Order: sequence, then C-alpha cells, then structure tokens
Amino acid sequence: MSIFKKLITAVRGGASEVGEAIVDTQAIRILEQELRESKIALDEAKTSLTAVMAEKMGVDRKVKNLNEKVKEHEGYAIQAIDKGDESLALDVANKVADFEHELNIQQGILDGYESKVTSLKKMIRQSERNIKAMDREISVVKTTEKVQQASELASAKYSGSNSSLKSATDSLERIKERQQKREDQATAAMELETEEKGEDLQDRLEKAGIVDTESTGASVLERLKKQKENS
Amino acid sequence: MLSIGGSMSNEKLEKLLKDLAENQLSDGTSLSIEMFDGDNAVACIKVEDREEFPIYMTVDEGQILCITYLFGDNQVDQNKRAEMAEVMLMMNVSIPLSAFSKIGNQYIMFGALSPSSSIGEILHEIELLSDNVLDAVDAVSEYLQEAA
Repeated sequence: MSIFKKLITAVRGGASEVGEAIVDTQAIRILEQELRESKIALDEAKTSLTAVMAEKMGVDRKVKNLNEKVKEHEGYAIQAIDKGDESLALDVANKVADFEHELNIQQGILDGYESKVTSLKKMIRQSERNIKAMDREISVVKTTEKVQQASELASAKYSGSNSSLKSATDSLERIKERQQKREDQATAAMELETEEKGEDLQDRLEKAGIVDTESTGASVLERLKKQKENS
Repeated sequence: MLSIGGSMSNEKLEKLLKDLAENQLSDGTSLSIEMFDGDNAVACIKVEDREEFPIYMTVDEGQILCITYLFGDNQVDQNKRAEMAEVMLMMNVSIPLSAFSKIGNQYIMFGALSPSSSIGEILHEIELLSDNVLDAVDAVSEYLQEAA
C-alpha cells in the first residue's frame, strides 16, 4: 500500500466518531512498526552490502592476480618456444590454461558480486527514500493529532464553553462588529479631536482680541460709532 | 529519527514564539501567543480582535504549520455539503498562501512554511491566514446552517 493510502486510512479512522481523537492511533502504530521494520531492513541491507563488497574486493584481487599470472606465463611460454623447448612450452601453456580456467570462474563470481552490489545499493536507496517518506507522514499525522488536542484544550479554555459549538458565522459577525466599533471609535475620536482643536482656536482668537467674546447690539453700535469718528 | 515531540523542534518553536512576541503585524495589530500543550509542541496565536479564530502553530524539521479551525461538520448545511467541498477545492488555488483542509470533523484553513522562514515571512503568513479565514468563512457562509 502506498504511504498516501496509509495516511488516508490513518486520518479517516477516527473521523467518523465525532469528538473522538481524529487520528487512528492503531494506524499510527502500524506505520511506526513498519518504519521500524524498514529501518532494520535497511541496516541489514547495509551490513550485507559491506560483506558483499569485502568479498568482492577479495575476488577482485584474485582476478587481478590470475590475469598477471596468465600474462607472466604466456611470456614464459614464448621464451620456451624461442629457445625451441617445445615440451617446456607445452607445460607452461597447460599452466596458462589452468590459470585461464580459474580466471573464468573467478570473473564469474566477481560479476555476480558486482550485480549484487548494484542491486543492494538500489535497494538501500529505495529504503532510505521510503523511510524518509514514512517519517514525514508520521510527523504530519502526529502534528495533526497534537493540533486536534490543542484545539480541544482551546475550546475548553476559550470563554469557558465549547467554542466549537459556536457557529463560525457568529464568530465572524462578532469580529466584524468589533471592527466596526473600533472604526467608529476611531472616527469619533478624530472628530472629537478636530472639534477640540476648533474650540481651542476660538479661545485663542478671543484672548488675542481678534474675535469678539460677546457681541451685543450695544457693542456693535459702539464699534460702528468709533469707525465713523475715525473716518 | 522522528522529530515530532523531539526537543529540537520544541526549541525551534520556542525560539520562534519569542521572536514573534517581539513583533506586530504590518498594521500594528498585536499578537497574543502562548504554548498550548505540556509538550510545548503546539503554540496558539491569537490576532488582536480576531480571538475567535486562533492560529495553531507547530514546527518540525519538514515544515512550520499554521492551522485555523473554521467550523465543524455540524455547522454545515448537510444538503449543501458536497457543493461546499467542491467550492473549497476550487477556491484553494486562488487563496494566497493558505488552503482549505479537514481534520476529523473540523474544516480548517492552513498554511505551511519552510522551517528556515524568516520572522517577517512568518508574520506575513499569520496575517494572510487570519485575513483569509475571515474571507473564507464569509465566502462559504451560504453553505452553513443558520446560526442556532
């Protein structure tokens, strides 16, 4: 089963039971068990890779050695031929044939080890990828579980009742109302400030005698008379 | 290898919260932040004036996860449930940085960030998520039951 499918099983498990933990702990346990097994398998694969590689190195040495011996004895055989010693040359040639026979066998073993190393390395890479993916999925599932627990705690804490029973639209309305209230307050505060500034200005103008404090019929008449005298 | 609940993640989260507490959102809105559970694995972040929709934050080696609960199945108009799910799926792409999902019987909105995100990026995420949540509830309110 793919990891995503397992994850679906894991998160679906509790979903049907309202108020229950949403994560199927059994599914997590299975995932974790598989993860542990994968890790053990990975360790084993690595160990056997090491062993195979060590053996391969041994065979490698043998093959090299045999190759050298073949070359060396071929040289001897040629020298024997050059000297006209046909029977010695034949003996040496027989030896070369033995070496070549052994070389064939060892080369076969070496090839076998090489393909085993390649497949082990492939397997290890795949396991490592799987383990990483499983790690990630388990961590997501567990995070989900934590958040769910936290949310339950939250609803208990928040306003003392089960807030999950409160409707989301109600909450939204409340937030909007609060926002509106804030905006209204801000607007009111700004208006008040403007007004206060206006009053302040009036006060200062009065004190400076630029604006009349109390303009009555008598004062106006007085002013007009003064203007007439001055003109 | 498992990182959840591991002390490293917790330290990361604690450090993050400390940094967050010293900051405000771009419009000066303040955040109230508290650790949520005994293991210090989940933090609860409340945006001023929007306390009804707290943001839960977790950190592990793979990601920083911010989750907000929208509403439960019980608030959904059962006749419009499938339609709402489809609308949410279609909306997902156009919502900046946040996506709809479901945990158990709760519909959620979440955003995920790289664990190496800067504090500015995380603040941006919180701000967007908070805005998105209000917009989202507004947008799908026609699929919800009339408030009881």
